Amino acid sequence: MTEREDRDLTDRLLQDAMRTRLSRRSVLRGAGVGVAGISLASLLAACGEDGDGGGGDPGGETGAPADVFAGEPGDTVNFANWPLYLDQAKDKDGNVYHPSLKLFQDATGISVNYEDVIQSNEEFFGKLQPQLQAGDPTGWDIIVITNGRQFNVLTGNEWVYRLDPSKRPNFDANATPFAKDPSYDPGNAFSMPWQGGFTGIGYDASKVNGPVTKLDDLANPAIVGTDSVGMLTSDMPDFVMINLGIDPVNSGPAEWQEAADWLLMQRESGTVRQYYDQGYIDDFVAGNAPVSMAWSGDILYYKVWAGYPDFEFLIPEDGALLWQDNMLVPVGAENAPGAAQVMDWYFDPKIATMVTEWVLYLSPAGGVQERIVEDAAAALDDGYKGYANKLTMTAESEFAFPDDALLAKTQFGTNITSDEQAEEWDNIFLPITQQ
Amino acid sequence: MATEALTAQDASAGPPTRGRSYAGRRRRAPLWLMMPGGVYLLIFLIVPMGLLVYTSLQSGGAFSGRFYFDWDFANYTDQIVQYKTQLIRSVSYSVIVTIACLLLAYPMTYWIAFYGGRWKSSILLLILLPFFVSFVIRTVQWRFLLGDDGIIFGPLKDLGLLPDSFRVLATPVAVVAGITYNFLPFTALPLYVALERIDKSLVEAAKDLYSSRWKAFRHVVWPLSLPGVFAAFLLTFVPATGDYVNAAILGGPGTTMIGNIIQEKFLRELNYPEAAALSVILMVAMLILASIYARILGTEDDTLTTAL
Repeated sequence: MTEREDRDLTDRLLQDAMRTRLSRRSVLRGAGVGVAGISLASLLAACGEDGDGGGGDPGGETGAPADVFAGEPGDTVNFANWPLYLDQAKDKDGNVYHPSLKLFQDATGISVNYEDVIQSNEEFFGKLQPQLQAGDPTGWDIIVITNGRQFNVLTGNEWVYRLDPSKRPNFDANATPFAKDPSYDPGNAFSMPWQGGFTGIGYDASKVNGPVTKLDDLANPAIVGTDSVGMLTSDMPDFVMINLGIDPVNSGPAEWQEAADWLLMQRESGTVRQYYDQGYIDDFVAGNAPVSMAWSGDILYYKVWAGYPDFEFLIPEDGALLWQDNMLVPVGAENAPGAAQVMDWYFDPKIATMVTEWVLYLSPAGGVQERIVEDAAAALDDGYKGYANKLTMTAESEFAFPDDALLAKTQFGTNITSDEQAEEWDNIFLPITQQ
Repeated sequence: MATEALTAQDASAGPPTRGRSYAGRRRRAPLWLMMPGGVYLLIFLIVPMGLLVYTSLQSGGAFSGRFYFDWDFANYTDQIVQYKTQLIRSVSYSVIVTIACLLLAYPMTYWIAFYGGRWKSSILLLILLPFFVSFVIRTVQWRFLLGDDGIIFGPLKDLGLLPDSFRVLATPVAVVAGITYNFLPFTALPLYVALERIDKSLVEAAKDLYSSRWKAFRHVVWPLSLPGVFAAFLLTFVPATGDYVNAAILGGPGTTMIGNIIQEKFLRELNYPEAAALSVILMVAMLILASIYARILGTEDDTLTTAL
């Protein structure tokens, strides 16, 4: 058994004990604060129409990495991420810290100001837009955005720097095939994935009337009952398209309409409990929506780590949605060289393992699964049987470590790249939820 | 009406025999007193309001990197056509909420004002107490209480008193009840102020003149409390129509209110022009409804200001 200095087992157990995550996306956000905080900024943004976009030529295909990555890194990297999306532990004085970041600081001397301020792509983007549009620094060196509309606005307008491919040796050596060269960012020109996941179906086996296996079951009251299915507003168009045999990446309005028709049919069937932006997991756990579109890591956490053996995560027979949250360096970042170091740090399998054991999502770095197995064996040797068992179940989960057959059933979502497309999309899908 | 005219005359007449400069200073004094609040309102109300209208007439989107002003009145017509259901639903919910709040708050505040005695302040504090906790948190607690198999309905279903399919969450009932709960204090306070100021001897006088309790209430207390009812209406109906938290937390498909649509457009679609247009539509609609109501009930009273 290899002894690795980066982890003290008792630390890890403490860490497990303080694990109170619900869902990276479902942390309650003060709904009122959200609007109040953003509306003025957005209005100002909307009015700043004459400011010339500070981000160079939009859509320029020059491909040269930004020269900001050359030079010495600064002292601090400002890192904005989603809640509960990085390993945590408590030190002797009871202060929460992030072990993987502490190791980074010890190794490089660069400190990372890590803040979990992102609770939705749209909202966070809305906050940054005024600065990005005016060419002002946002204050962040790394932000994490899911592939999708906001991601494309950032890259399309070049509001994020082109990364320097020579500054990511760990990424080159260890990134998994789906993390490398994704369709939404060819060649990882702008982004490196942080974590990914599947949008599939979660269900409570003790509360459904029959096996849930495919998309159509979500519209079948005989199987799932009425008013009992949770739907994820932002993921459902792509999820439905994939299950109807449409590749979202090559889809157009005609295909979107097909998905919308299915969703309308589902609404008419009376099975839908609610269309969720976030917070679906609360209703799922409480039994209000015992069948729900769900994110793989959430269900894995409840099933394996929180003691809900009846919870199941399902990739329907016809496929599921794959998404990745990506690290980007916004234009105006003051410490781009430091940011590049942090981003590559998390592609070291040893470090990536620390993150995966905590967040339970899809690691963009390879070599994690073996290390979790090792950790499980080490825990067993030390007599921590329960903890070892949880680690083993995590390492064996095909949703954390998918094989090629499973990956082949999943696809990335629609790549909307213009305002016209966005409007068309909204006109087709908004009437479903906004009733 | 007569008193109204009289007051107006008084005010316009002014002090007749003052010296010019003194009168000038006297006239300017209120202006200075208004300055801090006025500047505050100018910066944080009037300017954003102007920006809102300006934004509502823009076109463009996030991909082109900007929005541009082009008198796009289609934003307004499109939104009204597309979201008339939600507009009507919001107003209907709000009407029900306002009536429910008045029915709940009137007897309660009547009792406090007339029979509260030395406990008046303490009881009022109880009404205000919920304000000490964020209303989002309180609404989320409702989800916990009203869960399909939660601590209230779970046992009732186990006992067979309720059918298994029974639920309150994700229905219009939950949304309306949630808003009613959240806005009850806004109704209660102005009502209390109006009722508290009623001279109790008027009621005694009515009784001395052989009026029944009901008649005394009908002809003395009720008319005198109308300004409070009006203020309560404004403070409840207007914000309740724009509320989106209750529909978001307690509602389901089919309970979407106009506030939810505006929030979606602002925060999810980032379609600021359409969101702004809808906000302006809602604001104007509220102004019109409130002024119609004001015409009917009259506004010549300071209960609203006192209550605030």
